[in-house]
Amino acid sequence: MNNTDPDATYAASYSSKDPSMNVSVHSQQNLAQLSPYLNFNPVYLPQSQPEFIFPEGVARQRGRFELAFSQIGGSCMLGAGIGGIGGFYNGLKSTTLAGHTGKLRRTQLLNYVMKQGSATANTLGVLAVMYSGFGVILSWARGCDDELNTIVAASATGLLYKSSAGLRKCAIGGGIGFSLAAVYCLWSARDKLQDFRQEYNPA
Amino acid sequence: MEEYAREPCPWRIVDDCGGAFTMGCIGGAVFQSIKGFRNAPSGLNRRLLGSLAAVKQRSPVIAGNFAVWGGLFSTIDCTLVHIRRKEDPWNSIISGAATGGILAARNGLPAMAGSAIIGGVLLALIEGVGILFTRLSAEHFRPAPPQLGDDPTQLGPPPPGFSQSYQ
Repeated sequence: MNNTDPDATYAASYSSKDPSMNVSVHSQQNLAQLSPYLNFNPVYLPQSQPEFIFPEGVARQRGRFELAFSQIGGSCMLGAGIGGIGGFYNGLKSTTLAGHTGKLRRTQLLNYVMKQGSATANTLGVLAVMYSGFGVILSWARGCDDELNTIVAASATGLLYKSSAGLRKCAIGGGIGFSLAAVYCLWSARDKLQDFRQEYNPA
Repeated sequence: MEEYAREPCPWRIVDDCGGAFTMGCIGGAVFQSIKGFRNAPSGLNRRLLGSLAAVKQRSPVIAGNFAVWGGLFSTIDCTLVHIRRKEDPWNSIISGAATGGILAARNGLPAMAGSAIIGGVLLALIEGVGILFTRLSAEHFRPAPPQLGDDPTQLGPPPPGFSQSYQ
């Protein structure tokens, strides 16, 4: 073809200016004329995701039942830590106020720590057992595992935990469970929400 | 794969703590509901309320005790595995004894010793039953005994016309 472009003399047939080349990626002008292999669609590059080998019949994500025990154990230990620190703080306050010293003070502090620690550990552990139980039953009954299971299980846990304290407290418990689960689901699905926003807000 | 369903050692402690808590929670709920039912005044409503109250009060405590036992046992077990650099039933037995002893520490030395012996014997029984089951189910996986034609050293001298037919 008749180009009077001085750059086109070296590799005229591979230029990105040639409409029949069907170039999808336009690199800089010098590179495009150096090699025809630089005009490619980046989709053909290998993705940098890790590629795992799974045995047959195994789901890609760990199921709720497998995660349940470590969630329960983790919340138990977390409760023990939080309760222990709170009990230590309360014990320090009350033993200083009462002027205890020495062995008596050590025993009193230990008692405070153990009592508050075990109380909070038991509470958080029971909540985790209820949540895991509801989650496993829901995912088994529905046959799939998604955020709806999380939200419903958390609300049911809140309702059940406060169910013997009267209707109002029961509803407040369910509401707290629902809001915690909603915040967690929004945070964990923030990539998907990002796409959602871009799709519906072209501005 | 089921044989690799246990987590590696540090996370195993959290898993075992959670498992023990769940066992204590469910077992405690069952036993305390029956106990509360029986110890409540007569009348089905009062009995059910009594059973519910007993479950709410006592089963978290039982679950917590189980969780402490399970977590401590698993911690000592993982520590022994790390120190001895092998996994065998002795780790579990020693851990059971140590857990029993530590959890009875507030009651003085004789109580500690007694509790340690009970814990050790219990774990030895559990491990023994486990080994028994492994031996019994190993029959299942034994490879087939070698057949008559498999081993070439057992064949004996070749038949007389053999080498000529080979060429």
